[in-house]
Amino acid sequence: MTSESNKLLEKLSQFFSNIKIGEIMTSPAIVVTPETSIKQVKNIMKIKKISGLPVVKRGLKLTGIISIEDIIKVLENGKLEDSVKKWMTKNVKVLYEENTLSDFMSISQKYKFGRYPVINNENKVIGIITKYDVISWLFERLGTMYIHDDRRKKILEHEEYTSRLTGELLDNKKISFDFDIDYTEIQRIGTGATKLKSFLKKKGIDEKLIRKVSISTYEAEANVVIHSESYGKIFCWDFEDSIRLLIKDYGKGIENVEIAMQEGFSTASEEVRSQGFGAGMGLPNMKRFSDKMTIISEVGKGVIIEMLFYK
Amino acid sequence: MKLLELLKDGNFEKVYIFDDTVDIKNGYIGDLLSEIMRNAPAESVWLTHQTHPNIIAVASIVEINTIIVPEGFEFESETIKKAKENNINLLKSKCNIFKAAGIIYTKLKEE
Repeated sequence: MTSESNKLLEKLSQFFSNIKIGEIMTSPAIVVTPETSIKQVKNIMKIKKISGLPVVKRGLKLTGIISIEDIIKVLENGKLEDSVKKWMTKNVKVLYEENTLSDFMSISQKYKFGRYPVINNENKVIGIITKYDVISWLFERLGTMYIHDDRRKKILEHEEYTSRLTGELLDNKKISFDFDIDYTEIQRIGTGATKLKSFLKKKGIDEKLIRKVSISTYEAEANVVIHSESYGKIFCWDFEDSIRLLIKDYGKGIENVEIAMQEGFSTASEEVRSQGFGAGMGLPNMKRFSDKMTIISEVGKGVIIEMLFYK
Repeated sequence: MKLLELLKDGNFEKVYIFDDTVDIKNGYIGDLLSEIMRNAPAESVWLTHQTHPNIIAVASIVEINTIIVPEGFEFESETIKKAKENNINLLKSKCNIFKAAGIIYTKLKEE
């Protein structure tokens, strides 16, 4: 590893210096016994593409380490039939699983070994750590962070919803009211609609209009809870000339919007019906009470209902 | 008609009263929530067999000020709790829904 990449590793590691070695190490480690032949070790290294193996006695007790450097020595001065015991490095630098990444950094700077067995308090080998483990762990971490950031960016970049009714942009920053629909309890239906109602009342909006908006919201909210199997969102924009509503869920969607719009059509369960829901009037009511309405849905992709109410 | 008017002759029993002087101008009967929202007038009583808490949200959206259940029906305790939060009066009738409606209708007509 070059000094440049060492520097980078050092810098990155600062952010994660308290991370435990146990989280980063490769576990279990591939190990050999002192009786294994150098030839076998060479084959394991070749097949597994590794450059060193902890040497263990019964019960995975660490007794040495055999690395590619040792194999080179054998090739120069010994025989491939020799046992590991004869050529292994006995004075092994180890790390404990509770050690941190910063411990790894200081030990590896001091000793310059390529790999360190990780042992527990009973001197039992539980894994192995190399700079490669650290780097891939870091990349994984940074990768996750990047994805999160990327997702956020996407959401932030799509600040507006383009109205399917008017073609204009509905700016997220100008939302007057929003509400998260809890779909887990049927009893909560109407919480968002009643909150929106009192919000609009405070704004001094015409009573008749409020009634139309809240009934439509109630129906849309009920649909999310009863049908979507997903949480949902209510957004309301209070514009000078109109009130705009957007009710979204992320659930199973509507198979055939045309049929769903028909009065009396419902897929609600008996239980839900017995409580007075599922009369197949929800969507027709929204259509009736709003001045303009549209449904965007696809099976498995949730439902977006947009409504417009003129002031 | 004030709500007090209904409480006079013992046909209706208080469950929760937020304000017994509210004006009742109209009434509606039904168990289908969407239908209630579509047709029930504001400032009215609502006679229903539904006793679960969602009726409070429906009532407050369409400004029904009083909900009445007929004989043999009880509001769920959560419904009463929600009625208190939303200022909705709850009554129990001692008659079936037809008779209860008749009594209220007659009183409103007499005004």
